[in-house]
Amino acid sequence: MDCGKVCLMLQDDIDGRLPPSESAEILLHLESCPSCAAEAAGYRRVGEMLRLWAESEAGEKAARLDAMWTRVRAGIDERRQRDEPASWWRKWIWVPAGAVLAVLVLLFYPSDVSRAPFHPTSFDVAVEDLESDAATVALVDKGDDLPRVIWIIENDKT
Amino acid sequence: MTRPERRPGILLPGIALLAVVLASLAAEAAPAGPVSVDIGIVVASNQGTSIDPALSALRVKLQSMFSYSSYKMLDRAKRNLAVGETGDFALPGGRSMKVTPVAAPPNKVRLAVQIMEGERNLLTTTLGMSRGGMVLVGGPPYRSGVMILLISAE
Repeated sequence: MDCGKVCLMLQDDIDGRLPPSESAEILLHLESCPSCAAEAAGYRRVGEMLRLWAESEAGEKAARLDAMWTRVRAGIDERRQRDEPASWWRKWIWVPAGAVLAVLVLLFYPSDVSRAPFHPTSFDVAVEDLESDAATVALVDKGDDLPRVIWIIENDKT
Repeated sequence: MTRPERRPGILLPGIALLAVVLASLAAEAAPAGPVSVDIGIVVASNQGTSIDPALSALRVKLQSMFSYSSYKMLDRAKRNLAVGETGDFALPGGRSMKVTPVAAPPNKVRLAVQIMEGERNLLTTTLGMSRGGMVLVGGPPYRSGVMILLISAE
């Protein structure tokens, strides 16, 4: 393997992206080529510096992230504590509300018979006599299934 | 000497007949219980198509008998009246009604009914019905329709 090819593949080798056979070839070359070995050492130093820089950046941000998460958790806990009584209230409010509604219905529902439906059991009615001094009166009988009707006709208006 | 022949075939039916006659006489003589008179005042008209929920059981019958499209129950009154006791019912349009239960066979009701318009006698009738029976009295105009009285007793 020549120096040009090694230089092209050096960064991949350092990053561990080459198969073991090619990595072994590069290593063999570096042992015999001081120029490429120096190049590889430079690559490694730059990589190491980048890693250290990234770690320091992450360390600085970690503190800020920790602080932010602490505030977020505190906010969540505070919100949860504030909402808990309200959600309990909402969960059980229907019980007293239903009881109050039932009491109101019982209190104000018309208990007299004024709105109760009629349920006649028979339409078998005998009209024994029928008189009127001021109107014409007619007895309408349309069969046993229908009520008998006494119809009062005033002033000849039907 | 021979003993007279006993005739049990006549004795038992005779006793039974006597018991039936006495029971029926006792029933006739027994004072009748109070009569529950239920009066519904309905206004029928051709304004609208609604039928009062209280008349739901009578909807089909009302529509079969009359040609009105709307039936509204204005008022309803229920009185327990003894035989001979007169109940006064106020009706709309300056009318009134007197209902008096009169003597009736068991399980039957007889009502003497009088409807007045001021001093004028609109109707005087006597109705005989089974307990729970119903009769309708209608015709007097009221507002844009006619008044129909639902008279039931039990």
